[in-house]
Amino acid sequence: MKKNCDVLVILFWFSFAFLAMPGNGQETVGIFEQPMLITSAGQNAEVQIAAVLARRAGLNYTLSKQATGAELENVKTLVLVLGASLKGLGAAGLDMDKERDRVRALITAAQETHVPLLCLHLGGESRRGQQTDDLIAEVLPLAKMVMVVKSGNGDGFFTRLCQPKNIPLVEVEKMADAQVPLQKAFK
Amino acid sequence: MSRHLKHRAAGLACLALCAASLLTPSCQQPKEIIPTPPVDRHSPHDYVSRRAMVVAAHPLAVEVGLEMLRRGGNAVDGAIATAAALNAAEPFASGIGGGGFMIIHLAREKRTTVINFREKAPQLASPRMFKDKGEEEKEWRTSSGLAVAVPGALAGWDLALRKYGTRTLAEALAGAIAIAEQGFAVSSTFSSINKDEYERLVKNVPEGSTYLNEGLPYEPGDRFRNPDLARTLRLIAAGGVKEFYRGEIGRKLVAAVRAKGGIMTAEDLASYSAVELEPLQGTYKDVTILTAPPPASGGLHLIQFLNMIERWPVRTWGQNSVPYVHHLSESLRFIFADRERYLGDPEYVSVPVHWLISKDHAAAVASRIRGNRPLESYPFGEYKHEEKDAANTTHLCVIDRDGNIVALTQSINDFFGTGIAPEGTGFLLNDHMDDFAADAESINAPGPGRRPVSSMGPLILFKSGKPILALGSPGGTRIFSSLAQIVLNVFEFGMSLDAAIEAPRFFSFSSGGKPGPIAVEVRFPEEVLTTLRAMGQEVEVREAYDKYFGGAQGIMVLRDKKIILGGADSRRDGVGAGL
Repeated sequence: MKKNCDVLVILFWFSFAFLAMPGNGQETVGIFEQPMLITSAGQNAEVQIAAVLARRAGLNYTLSKQATGAELENVKTLVLVLGASLKGLGAAGLDMDKERDRVRALITAAQETHVPLLCLHLGGESRRGQQTDDLIAEVLPLAKMVMVVKSGNGDGFFTRLCQPKNIPLVEVEKMADAQVPLQKAFK
Repeated sequence: MSRHLKHRAAGLACLALCAASLLTPSCQQPKEIIPTPPVDRHSPHDYVSRRAMVVAAHPLAVEVGLEMLRRGGNAVDGAIATAAALNAAEPFASGIGGGGFMIIHLAREKRTTVINFREKAPQLASPRMFKDKGEEEKEWRTSSGLAVAVPGALAGWDLALRKYGTRTLAEALAGAIAIAEQGFAVSSTFSSINKDEYERLVKNVPEGSTYLNEGLPYEPGDRFRNPDLARTLRLIAAGGVKEFYRGEIGRKLVAAVRAKGGIMTAEDLASYSAVELEPLQGTYKDVTILTAPPPASGGLHLIQFLNMIERWPVRTWGQNSVPYVHHLSESLRFIFADRERYLGDPEYVSVPVHWLISKDHAAAVASRIRGNRPLESYPFGEYKHEEKDAANTTHLCVIDRDGNIVALTQSINDFFGTGIAPEGTGFLLNDHMDDFAADAESINAPGPGRRPVSSMGPLILFKSGKPILALGSPGGTRIFSSLAQIVLNVFEFGMSLDAAIEAPRFFSFSSGGKPGPIAVEVRFPEEVLTTLRAMGQEVEVREAYDKYFGGAQGIMVLRDKKIILGGADSRRDGVGAGL
């Protein structure tokens, strides 16, 4: 019985390693430093999920749904959770233009202070759409690493954006599976 | 895109098959009634039957309702079984922690009646109860114990069964219990709503709650089970609704509400009753509309809306043409002004219903609308429209072999309600106190025992005295606009029922006398949107099949062809099936 369990554990870790591995052998371990600032690009609900995953991974983070450049002080990594939500934008009193401006300003501030960018897309296929895709296309090429729930990259959209820039892309089956690669991505 | 849709259609097919597996050996389904979803779930697909039909927002609930009809239950039995099953299969939209309205047509008696099981404010409610909470007002209104109104669903279901059904409440709850116990694979609709409401849920439920999957939202294909709800429904099945309103379940409910800062008491629960009402009646050309009266507002506003539209050559303009969208949007803005000024609980305030739905009032409003540009202001009221994205709520329709019909809309308000689930009960509590006005001077301000104005509007339409269409939808303040567009698609533009439901929708409103944008699904032709913008209309483009516009379900009776058509909205997981 115990032997069977051991085999299962090994298979689990093997399958995790396989699924979470970027296609071209790029480095995805220990490339970011803590603390990190987690914010949303598009006021999606997944930003809250990213914070839960970071907490479970024991990472040092601050969650700010509408973060500005001023909040980057003492921050070593900026985590952008991608996905436009009309519901979230409405609740925040924002429209997509204002949100895009905020994200642009935040990324500019991060670049000026040499804070690297980690992009997460956790919403899968249902968190795609024209507005989300436009935002992703603008932001993703600036990332140092990208992590996506696989169904969101079913059409290869993230792959096409990451490959030309040689940006490591980690695919996970489900949101919960992002916890371990997220943990490993940090020193 | 097509791959995505095919996956979703395949998911629906799997759910339909799950429905079959839920049934006990004594009630296995005949092959003829397995719903056959279209390959592309958004492709118009009328469910066709000759004798009876159920349409609802989840295939498992449809199967439960149909099984009730198959065993000889009437439309009321089928509707209540379906409504209860939705608590198990679509728990984020409605359930015993909420309330609603149903309209019942009794074929033999040629009579139509309404049951109002809308929630009531607790006796300690007061007009300033939210205003005094200050900056966090909105949160108090939607996520705290103060947001919970006294639930009415069980009282309404019980009243309907006792007066017009042929089966017991225990029999009507059996299908829901089976779904809650055995569970099902969640759809992408369930998953995306669970993600959207995650923040509200983590605020009010423990990480181990049924409504989260190990503390995170469910993803498509994950299995959702709710054994606590099954136990709760078994208790109610054995002991009747008093188990909920006066028993252990009620005690847990009150404790949960008060633990989150609420004011509900055991007396509030014990004194709740559903009421039977005369339906509200209006006309559109040769069609008679029967619907739920205030405090339901959806039907009333639909009649107002159609009264104005009746004056315009909409068939000549064409569906979703520039003049059509412009004129209807302008009408909606006037209706929202009326809503703020005149709508409240008629048990406590005077609502000028007959004037609002009069043709004269419609003529006066329609005459103010300019054909070439929007007005600067909409002066009938100062409606403080709080734009909420929630599509919430759920609607079902049932017709039985004898021609009895039920159209039932029920809700816990926002998706997942307050997110508060009384300990060990498995059901979610509503946040319908949020449907009261924030303004303490409003006709719809909270008060002891009052029912908040609802946007629900279950309808039955008649031609020559015979029912032709039963219809309803979730969608908050978009409900009556969406229903009117479906009615026009059928009666003016000659669409089949499901084509009418799936067609692109739009919506507008006014706020403080100023126009809100025209929200449209992205499927509208770009030239229409460009022309509307050139006319001075602000246009907000939304997803192709956006839940914001509701999730309508309908049944159409084509007497000349001796068939029944069912239409179910792909904006959610709507399906239909017949006998």
